[in-house]
Amino acid sequence: MFPATKDAAMSGSQWDELAELALSRVRAAGVEYADIRLLDTTTRTISGEDRRIAHIRESTDRGFGIRVLHRGAWGFAASSIISLEEIPRVADLAVEIAKGSASLAITKVHLAPEPVHRDRIVTPCRVDPFAVPLEEQTALLLSTMEMIQRHPGVVRSHASLWAQRDRKLFVSTEGSHLEFDLLAMQGDGSATAVQDGRFATRSFNTPYLRTGYELIRDTDFAREGARIAEQAVEKVQAPVIEAGRYDLVLDPEHLSLTMHESCGHPSELDRALGYEANYAGTSFLTPDKRGTYRYGSTHVNLVADNTEPQTLAATGYDDDGVSCQKWDIVREGLFVGYCTNREVAPRINEERSRGSNRADSWGSVPMVRIANIGLEPGTASLDGLLSDVKRGIYIEGHGSYSIDQRRYNFQFGGDAFWLIENGRRTHMVRDVIYHGITPEFWGRCDGVADRSHRRRYGFISCGKGQPGQAGWMTHAASHARFRRVDVIAGEAKANE
Amino acid sequence: MTSSITPSWPKLTGRKEFEFLADLVMSHSTGDHTFFSLRDSHGGTTRFANNQIIQNVNQRRGTLSITVAFGRQHGTASTTDFTAGAVRETLKQAECIARLSPEDPEYLSPVGPQTYLSLPTSRSETSVAGPARRLDYAREAIGQCKMENLNAAGTVSSSTAIVGLAADTGLRAYEERTEARFSLTVQAGEATGWSAAAHRSIDRLHVQERTLAAIIKAKRGADEPQELPPGRYTVILEPAAVAGLLSWMIWMLDAKSFYKGTSPFSGKLGSRIIDRRLSLLNQPAHADLLGNGFTHEGLPVIESGWIESGVLTQLLHDRYTAREHQVDPLATLESPHFSGERPIGTRVDDLVRTTQRGILVTNFWYIRPVNPSDLTLTGMTRDGTFLIENGEITSAVRNFRFHESPLRAFNQVEAYTAPVEAVTSETGKALVPAMRIHDFHFSSVTKF
Repeated sequence: MFPATKDAAMSGSQWDELAELALSRVRAAGVEYADIRLLDTTTRTISGEDRRIAHIRESTDRGFGIRVLHRGAWGFAASSIISLEEIPRVADLAVEIAKGSASLAITKVHLAPEPVHRDRIVTPCRVDPFAVPLEEQTALLLSTMEMIQRHPGVVRSHASLWAQRDRKLFVSTEGSHLEFDLLAMQGDGSATAVQDGRFATRSFNTPYLRTGYELIRDTDFAREGARIAEQAVEKVQAPVIEAGRYDLVLDPEHLSLTMHESCGHPSELDRALGYEANYAGTSFLTPDKRGTYRYGSTHVNLVADNTEPQTLAATGYDDDGVSCQKWDIVREGLFVGYCTNREVAPRINEERSRGSNRADSWGSVPMVRIANIGLEPGTASLDGLLSDVKRGIYIEGHGSYSIDQRRYNFQFGGDAFWLIENGRRTHMVRDVIYHGITPEFWGRCDGVADRSHRRRYGFISCGKGQPGQAGWMTHAASHARFRRVDVIAGEAKANE
Repeated sequence: MTSSITPSWPKLTGRKEFEFLADLVMSHSTGDHTFFSLRDSHGGTTRFANNQIIQNVNQRRGTLSITVAFGRQHGTASTTDFTAGAVRETLKQAECIARLSPEDPEYLSPVGPQTYLSLPTSRSETSVAGPARRLDYAREAIGQCKMENLNAAGTVSSSTAIVGLAADTGLRAYEERTEARFSLTVQAGEATGWSAAAHRSIDRLHVQERTLAAIIKAKRGADEPQELPPGRYTVILEPAAVAGLLSWMIWMLDAKSFYKGTSPFSGKLGSRIIDRRLSLLNQPAHADLLGNGFTHEGLPVIESGWIESGVLTQLLHDRYTAREHQVDPLATLESPHFSGERPIGTRVDDLVRTTQRGILVTNFWYIRPVNPSDLTLTGMTRDGTFLIENGEITSAVRNFRFHESPLRAFNQVEAYTAPVEAVTSETGKALVPAMRIHDFHFSSVTKF
């Protein structure tokens, strides 16, 4: 059962009773399928700026959502009032909404089969972030900002810590009963320097991982603060990049965003089927291309792995109650697989969902989300990748990013850029923007560093859906090299 | 046909219940200052694609938040549980955090009692609308598209929210706010057309007319689009595209960044930043904007000028920065009204007719800053990009990526319409004109 909470009404046995009340109610209405998710989420955010702690906030977000499939169409209703009176109201509303959806149905929803699961998932952690004294956490942030702003030329600093615990119960009419006690943690900092009316920010961050406060204690915030302060000043003083074609060597953190936008989103099957046409967009990776389309060079192996410990999407089971899996998205450059849920998997004749259906809260309906998609390591070393570059750019971290609604045309910046000349990183440059067409860009990949260079980075704010939801996933990579990529300067000059 | 869904709506927190909760918090708080905010809402979204419903959701969510301060130490806790026990627990948690917090030199006690404009923030037709009304609108849009053998994807949403604020200083604010939204993407093969609306009143979404507008766009683009090279073009930006650029200007008006030298507007207050014919106002009382009576801190929302005849006259101040610089912190910009002197008509066609050669842009997508120092942005054209020749639309063109700063683009304005309602998927609602702008920079082209 769940660890004791401050509210007795949220004990595990009472949740079970509420779940049974909801499911028996919708069963009586004749639904084909239903599930209920009850969630109790606690989030702590400590945010500092310019040598002060600006906010400490702890939020408790509790509620439940009931999803029903009736006459081949979905209905979903949710409420933050967890009571014996509210459950039947919301259950009835979900059924009524499904009836309305059914009145406009053309293709009925048929769920891919999934075995019944009864399980309990707990995030292993050494140090519970909610048990760490606040004074320790605020002192860490204050000393980090002090370290950053001690550096001449730095005018602003930022540092923050974030932790979240999700206690969740998923119960379905098929008999699945899944309990979760999940943690996630992250910390970061930034330095902003000014020069001649320009300003530049350099950042560091731990990845978002499903772990405890040991993630923060294992990171040397003081050293990272000093490093980014120095690099922020170097960045704002650096010469502007000259537009042209460059070889790029991208670090794992930078690649996490490139993969997310140019591979992750187009591999969501609901997008490829048109579900997101009105907002996030569709996908150039249409089902007819699966198994035959050349997405990148033979160096490119993109693997979805929702089983790797500590990664954000590795929650044991998704919000369809499907167990997490590992599968190929791109194998030796060929597009071979999608992220799916139980609804869309049968549309491409897959017998089982990939288990990538997630909602961002009790109040949101689950939908296909990007899995933990990572670039498989190659055989090179970072020095080896650099040594073979005559004129190139080494890019770290995240900066500007934008991509069209079918995920063809993208443009990325970064957090820091170094010119590579004759196989060596020389000095920083600024305002580097590279752009391209997704399959052409990945076709230019001619080397990936080995597993010793592999790092994991994650996102908790991947926007998708209407109403919008924030998706969580991790993207791991080793450094990779791309030949002759179009680079422009970030400044909008009048004579461009 | 009206659908038969009869929702049993939950009763949202009434004014008396809000007062009870506020008094409960204030009477039990041991802090020097206590600030209480509550938001209680219900609403839903009907989402369709491929001419059928794909999501149909309803949510009731209540959240209350308590900030307690001891001197300059402060902490905040929030909960979705409105029972008296949970409220007291949340208060204790906020007190506990505050006692353990370091002193914040920028902390200011909550504002005292205020006088607010009485704005029409709530419309009864929206608050009683539910899944059935949303389904009817979805059916209308899908039906029109099916009649044309086109594919509809979109949303209809409606919501009602109660927002209440209270503080030990005597502050009390309570408001009901409703909002309805409609957006539609019509697919004609590879081509798309788009339209959207947002209003306090669900009766003012004009679903039929907006569906027709999106259909016309999609059909117009259905022929194979031609690929034009990147470069500088005369463009006609429809209101949604103008709103996309304007939003990023608004989001960068933060005063603290301005004074620290980390704003694109640093050193430009009181200077002309865009075409001298253009002005930007905040108009919270405008019936077609989504103005609220008060801010999240309880300050009254007022009409204010931000850009007057091209000159930047206002920045967005937090209360501390305002006090530090002896500025009134009241000006906010949630209800933008962007307009110019002597507009040409109200319709985009009025600009098309007088354009020799240019690109018509329906909307921008995925706008992001490239260079915050000069506010260079990038983004893609979307859902209807056309070539104009000799005053007429002659063909669809492949979508462009732009690389441009609104601070430059809004200085290259040739002509504009009167402001009209504009909504995008990434921004709020504004009243803005369509604009013809010369030398707008498209840096690359995509595959469709």
